[in-house]
Amino acid sequence: MPDFVRTTRPIIAQVPGRAGLHSTCYRVKGVRVPIVVESANLTKRYGRVLAVDDFSFSIEAGTITGFLGPNGAGKSTTLRMLLGLAQPTSGHATVFGHPYGELDEPASRVGAVLEATDFHPGRSGRDHLLMLSRAVGIPDARVDTVLELVELTDAAKRRVKGYSLGMRQRLGLAASLLGDPDLLVLDEPANGLDPEGVRWLRDFLRDFASGGKTVLISSHVLAEVAQTVDRVLIINHGRLVTESTLEDLTARVTGVVRVRSPELDRLEAALRHEGLVTSRRNDHALAVEGATSERVGDVAFAAGIAIHELTTEGSSLEEVFLELTAAEPA
Amino acid sequence: MNQLRAELLKIRSTRTSIGLLAGLVVIALLFTILTGTLSPKVGLVTAQDQLSLLSFGSIAGVFAALAGIMLVTSEYRFGTIRPTFLFTPSRDRLLMTKIVAGALSGLVFGVLGEGLVFGLGATIMRLRGVHLIMTGSAVTQLLVGAIVGSALWGVIGVALGSIVVNQVGAVISLLAWGFVVENLVFGFLPKIGRFLPIHAADAMMGRIQPSMLAGDVGALVVVGWCAVLALVGVVMLQRRDVN
Repeated sequence: MPDFVRTTRPIIAQVPGRAGLHSTCYRVKGVRVPIVVESANLTKRYGRVLAVDDFSFSIEAGTITGFLGPNGAGKSTTLRMLLGLAQPTSGHATVFGHPYGELDEPASRVGAVLEATDFHPGRSGRDHLLMLSRAVGIPDARVDTVLELVELTDAAKRRVKGYSLGMRQRLGLAASLLGDPDLLVLDEPANGLDPEGVRWLRDFLRDFASGGKTVLISSHVLAEVAQTVDRVLIINHGRLVTESTLEDLTARVTGVVRVRSPELDRLEAALRHEGLVTSRRNDHALAVEGATSERVGDVAFAAGIAIHELTTEGSSLEEVFLELTAAEPA
Repeated sequence: MNQLRAELLKIRSTRTSIGLLAGLVVIALLFTILTGTLSPKVGLVTAQDQLSLLSFGSIAGVFAALAGIMLVTSEYRFGTIRPTFLFTPSRDRLLMTKIVAGALSGLVFGVLGEGLVFGLGATIMRLRGVHLIMTGSAVTQLLVGAIVGSALWGVIGVALGSIVVNQVGAVISLLAWGFVVENLVFGFLPKIGRFLPIHAADAMMGRIQPSMLAGDVGALVVVGWCAVLALVGVVMLQRRDVN
């Protein structure tokens, strides 16, 4: 699964000046890393439905976190509570150590895109940005800068009615970037994007985060964000299912590894010596359970045994994700 | 101040306000020209007759209220309320700004509507040889009352829009109130009906029927309605989650 094998960006040691002021910090490898987003026992009840149920998580500066779960799992509700659009039934959520509504200049700390369609169709893209930027005293020149950044300069004076979905997504992103924020929150940004748009977004987010900034990006499809994120938060039925690095999640990809070798007996012995469970498929092939192809390959290499075939059968990263989110609530 | 600039840009940057302004101009012109030229001369000689012709510009209040409603409900209808709240999480401050913007746009509607009707109506009367017998103070009360009234209707529109954020719902509420509810209440219970906003606003510009409030009291009552509705609006706006 080479797509998912990637190096994790080093945790950024230099924290953006403003971020450190009021934030909670904790230590990673001896470096104080501020918590940018935090929620404690966050709960939202709509009538009899618990949309978000006692949800606690934190996100440290300089990471790209994928917020994953099936549709209706509570992702959007969580993000709305985080951004002060919805009131939690109980518990609380903070960004940069404060409830969103109490941030001094929220647009310069947090940029967010919650829906791809939040525009008046009869208003030009540029006017949409201006009505937001002027409200908080961002100079008009910044509007042209972000328009250029998302490659919408040519369409800026056209009414949004005539924009494609991809252009609307980028206009939304432009709005979130007006205040040059340190945290970007995107709800299902890849929805409806063509592959080129998805790649554009991925490159953009990597670029954004490479400067020590933080990204929280939700999706109901792990594959959409797997190449972008460092960490995943998986939510289902309003509850936190898993919080892990992408690498740890990848390590759970353990199907059956099929291995073919001319020295099957020796290989079997070597694998069993490593504590792996094997079974014969036929005279030429072994099935190894609960291991990754990397592990099997390494064992064979260490023992100096030639391998003619090495295949992972069964679960992929997406399947691990589906498995984690398939469970009914207790 | 920044916030107000943004709200005014919201009003200017779509065609909704142009449409409302055009609607007001057409209706004001039609009514004034038709009534001014087709009424028999005897129907234009009393101060009361002249007032009822020349005060038609107060119809601007309806348009001002609609524009005010749009200022809030359009944001909910098209979802711009999300980025708006993200940029300005303080909802009471946002509503105050929208109220000021609604009042300013109402003022524009009022000046245009009443200015057009009064100017044109008075000109037609002069051309037909009818003397304006309204007193100077009655004319002043009419002009000031209609224009300020229109600004206050802009405020009421914004407040109503934040109470009923559904655009269609808010517009229907306004029209149902204006055409049905308030007239019924005033018809059957004038002692209560005279305190309702349309009748109080009429009193404010001197368009007084029997059992209505005095002009200055009417003005206070309209301001009171603005304050009460704005207060309810801000509470509703703050308590309502945005999906």
